[in-house]
Amino acid sequence: MTTKYFFKKDDQYVLNRCTKFLSRYNTDARHSYGAPGEQSERDRIAEAWRFPIIDTYGGGADAVSDPAQFNDYNEVTFIYAGADSRSPASVSVIGTFATLYEPIPLERAIFEDEPTRFWSLTYVVPKGQRHLYRFIVDEAFPVNDPVNPQLELQDNGQSWSRFFTDSFTSPLEMEPWELAILYRLAAEILPFQTADATNFLNRFYDCLDRATKKNLYNNAYRMDHSVGEVNYIANILAREERHHLIGYKKCLRIIDRVLRQRSPYMEPENMSREIYFDLYNEMATNQVAGWDYSQYASPQFFLYLLRRHVVTGAFCHPKYGGNAGAAGWAYLSERYFTPAAAPGQKPQTLFDWRLSMEPPLGVNADYLG
Amino acid sequence: MIQVTFDVIVIGSGAGGAPLAHILAKAGKSVLVLEKGPLFRPQYQSPNQRSDFKRDELISDGAEKRIQLAVANKGQAFYSSHVEPDINDEPHIYRDTEGSDKATIEGYTAQVVGGGTQLYGGVSFRYAPLDFRLASFNAGRSDIRQDPNDDIKREARDWPISYDDLEPYYTKTEELVGINGESRNQQKPFSRDVYQPPLTPNGISEYARRGMELLARKLNPLNPILPYRTPLAVITRDHAPSGRKVPHDPETEKTSYVNRYGDPLGLKSSTWVSLLSPVKDLPNFIIRCNCVATRLTYQNGKVDRVYYIDPSGVERFAQGKIVVVACSGIESVRLLKLSAKLDNGFDKAIHQNDLLGCYFMTHCFGGASAILPERFDKSRALDAGWATDCCATEQFLHDHGLWAAGALYNNTSDGALPISLFRTLGALDLDNLWDGFMFATDLKAQALVNYLDDQFGRGLSISFMANQVPQRTNRIELHPTVTDKWNRPVAYIIKNWHQHDRYLMDTYANMAAQILHFSGEHLSGKQIEAVKFVGKGGSYLAPNGIVRIANHILGGARFGKDRNASVLDVNCRAWDFDNLYVTDGAFMPTSRSGNPTNTIEANSFRVADQILARL
Repeated sequence: MTTKYFFKKDDQYVLNRCTKFLSRYNTDARHSYGAPGEQSERDRIAEAWRFPIIDTYGGGADAVSDPAQFNDYNEVTFIYAGADSRSPASVSVIGTFATLYEPIPLERAIFEDEPTRFWSLTYVVPKGQRHLYRFIVDEAFPVNDPVNPQLELQDNGQSWSRFFTDSFTSPLEMEPWELAILYRLAAEILPFQTADATNFLNRFYDCLDRATKKNLYNNAYRMDHSVGEVNYIANILAREERHHLIGYKKCLRIIDRVLRQRSPYMEPENMSREIYFDLYNEMATNQVAGWDYSQYASPQFFLYLLRRHVVTGAFCHPKYGGNAGAAGWAYLSERYFTPAAAPGQKPQTLFDWRLSMEPPLGVNADYLG
Repeated sequence: MIQVTFDVIVIGSGAGGAPLAHILAKAGKSVLVLEKGPLFRPQYQSPNQRSDFKRDELISDGAEKRIQLAVANKGQAFYSSHVEPDINDEPHIYRDTEGSDKATIEGYTAQVVGGGTQLYGGVSFRYAPLDFRLASFNAGRSDIRQDPNDDIKREARDWPISYDDLEPYYTKTEELVGINGESRNQQKPFSRDVYQPPLTPNGISEYARRGMELLARKLNPLNPILPYRTPLAVITRDHAPSGRKVPHDPETEKTSYVNRYGDPLGLKSSTWVSLLSPVKDLPNFIIRCNCVATRLTYQNGKVDRVYYIDPSGVERFAQGKIVVVACSGIESVRLLKLSAKLDNGFDKAIHQNDLLGCYFMTHCFGGASAILPERFDKSRALDAGWATDCCATEQFLHDHGLWAAGALYNNTSDGALPISLFRTLGALDLDNLWDGFMFATDLKAQALVNYLDDQFGRGLSISFMANQVPQRTNRIELHPTVTDKWNRPVAYIIKNWHQHDRYLMDTYANMAAQILHFSGEHLSGKQIEAVKFVGKGGSYLAPNGIVRIANHILGGARFGKDRNASVLDVNCRAWDFDNLYVTDGAFMPTSRSGNPTNTIEANSFRVADQILARL
C-alpha cells in the first residue's frame, strides 16, 4: 500500500478561504501597499500572502495518521483559481515537498453540486520547512502561483513560488549582517538587556531540551538578549508584510553606513551598546547624523515600524517564528506571581498562559490549536 | 439543479437573521440563509477537529495593510481581524468633522456565519422597561439639560411594543442561545430565570463589584440597587438546545481569547453554534456561505427575486415567499438603497417616505480605567465581570437632567494579553491600533519593564453603554464615488454627537470613575490614591470620535405604528411590501441602555412568530 501525504479538504474549507480574497469584479490595484516597483496582478486581490494556506494538521493524509505526530506537521492547501468553472481542464502541482517529476492533481471545489473555478490540493509538510513549487495547468509548462507573492530566485536565473511552514527559523530574505543590526536595535527596545531579564533568559535557554535548543540556535543568533523577535520580523517581511521589505533593506543599508562612520574598523554587530543607544534616540527624533534622507525620508517612521514588529515578535504565538520556545511569555509568567502562601508551597504565576494554549506548547485539555 | 424557491430567504446569519431562521426551519418551512462570509467551524464540527478560529493574538488584529482608496486617510495603516472585511475591498466611508471623507473599519461586525456574535464579548443585557417609552418619559419634562432646541422631546420615540411584549422572547433567547448570568438585582422583570450559572469572576472584578455597591449605596442609601454578574453569551454547563458540551472543568473556559476572537471550542454562543447548527441537517434548511446578496427586485407589492454572487463570482438569484434582510444595520440599509437604485418599483415602495437610512445610531459609550495596586492573572477571564443598573433609575435621570439611561459594567479582557496591551496603548478605537505604542519611543528597555510592571494584570476598566439621542441627520447613504470589490457603491456614514450625548457621556464617565474611586476605598489601610486613574471619558473625545460605533449598529430603518414616521411596521415589515422584513439592529427607534445583541435576537424570535402565523 502506498502512503500518501496529500488529500482533499472539504469544499466548505476551500471556498471559505477563496471568496473573500480572490472573488471580485473590480480590477483596481487596491492592495499594493506602497512597495514601489513591485506592482503586479497580485495587487488586485486581497491578502495574496495567505496562499498557499498553512494550517494546523489534524489528520487526513494516510502517511501521517498517528495523532502523536500531528503537531510536527502543517497542512498546506494549494489553491488555483481558474478563469471559470470550465477552464482550465486540469491543474496539478509539483514541488520540493514531494518529487519534482510526479505532478499531484488538484481537484475542483464544488458549490451546491456545481463546479466552481477554484482548485485545491492539501499536502502534509513538516513544520519549520521551506519549499518551492509550481502549478501545471492543462498539462502545459510549469508556472508559478499567480497569487502567492513569494518567489525565490534560483541559481539558474529562474524564480519559483515558495512557501514556508510554521515555526520557521531560517530567514529567507535577510542577510546575516542585516539580521545582526536588527538584533542590536531590537535589544534597545525589549527588556532583555536588563540584568533581570538576561538572567532569566540564560536560565530559560539552559533548561531547554537538546532538540529545542538545536532548533533555536541553528541560526547562531544572539539568544542571550533575544527571544527570536528578529526571526519573526524576517518571516513577516517574507510573507504578511512583504510591502515593508524594501524599506527595511534600505534603512539597514543606511544604518550600516552610519554605524561604520561612527566606529570605523569595527563590525556593526560588535559595536558598543552606547552607539546603538544613541542611534535609537536620534531615530526617535528623526534627526540622525549621517542618515541618507534621499534614500529613506524618515528614520522615525522606520523606528515606529520596528517597535511594532519587535514587540509582536517577542510575544506572538511561537508558530510565527518569534517568542522562541515561548520565552517571551515565560518571562512574563516568571516575573509576575503571587508569593508562596506557605513555606514549601510554590509561588503562583499571574500569567498562566499554558492553561489556554494547545499541547504540547500549553496544557489546555480541549483546545487543539 | 440548485434550489431556487423557498418559503423564506434570510440575508445574514447573525443576531437578526439566525433566530428567525431557526424557528422557521424547525417549523418545517423551507429556509435559505445567504451569508457573505465563510462558515468557520468549532473543533467539534470540523472534519479534523481543528477549528478555523485560533487562540492567537495575531488573528484578531492581523498584519498591517494600508488604505489605498481615494479618500482623505489614504495610506493609513489598519489591522483587521481575519473575519472582518478588507477596507480596500469593502470600506465604510464617513465624513469627518472637517468635512472630508475617510475609510474606516468602525461599524463592521464580522463577515462570517454568525456575524458579530462570533467576535463579540458576549455581553447580553436585556433593555429596561423605561427604554421602551422614552417619548412618554420625556414629554413635559422641564429638567432635561443640554438640549437647547428641545430635540429630545421632538425625536424621542416610544417603541411600538412594550417590555412585556418582548419579555417572553428575552427568555427564549436566553434559553436557546445559551447565556450565563443572574437575574437578581437586574432592574428588569423576569418571568423566568433561565441563565446558566456564571463562572467564578476574575479577582480583579471584585474591585468593580465593591465600587458598584458603594456607588449604589451613595445614590440611594435606603434602597441601593446592587450589582449583578454581567450576562454573557458563553455556556458554562452542557447546553441541551444546541447539544453543546462544556469542558470537564468549565473554569478552564476562562482564557481572555473571547472579545474579538471566534471561539475554537464553540462555547461562546454565536448564532451559528447555538441556533443554526441545530437545524443545519434538516432537509428544509440550506445555508449558502461566501454568497453576497447584491440586490432585491420588486414585483406587485413583493420582493420578487434576491440576487446574489456565489463563491466563484457567478450571479444567481433565489425566490422566497418571505425575504428577511438582516446583514447588520449599515449594510442592510445599503442593500435596500442599492436595490432601489436599480429597480424603479423597489425604489417607490421602499421610499414611500424619505426615512430609509435616517436616524442611524450607535450608543453613547465610554468609561474610566485605573491601575490597581494588586495584580491578577487577567488572562484567566471571560470578558466582563459585574454590571449595575444603579444609574438607570428614573430618579437618577431626573437628578442629572438626562433623557435616558445606561448600563455600567467592567471589562476584564482588555489588555489581558501582552500584544493587546501594547497595541491598544492609547488607542481609542480600531482605526488607531498600535499608534500609541509605536510613537511612545521612550517606552523601551527598562522603561518597558516598568510599563509592564505597572500595567500587566493591573488594569481595571468600567464601561458604560447608554442611549444616544436619535437625530434625523445621522444617516446612512450610498457613497457617490467609492465602490466595493463588486463595483457597488459603499455605505456612507454621516453622523455626529448631539450636545446632550456629550453631556450624557460625561455624566456616565463620571459614574464609572466613581466606581473606581470607591473600589479603592475598601482596601484596608489603603486610601483612594491606591487606585491610579488612567483616564475617563466618552467616546466622543477620541480623535475620530465622530465615527465611533462600538460595532453597535442601530437604526436607519426604524419600526413604528405610523407609516409616515417609520420605515417598518410593528412587525418589522417594510410598509409597502407584502413580504420584506428587516430584523437586524436597523429596526430600533432608540438605541437603549445596553449592548444590543440580546434584544436583536429576542426581536427576531418575535418576528419569527409573526411570519410563521402567515405562512
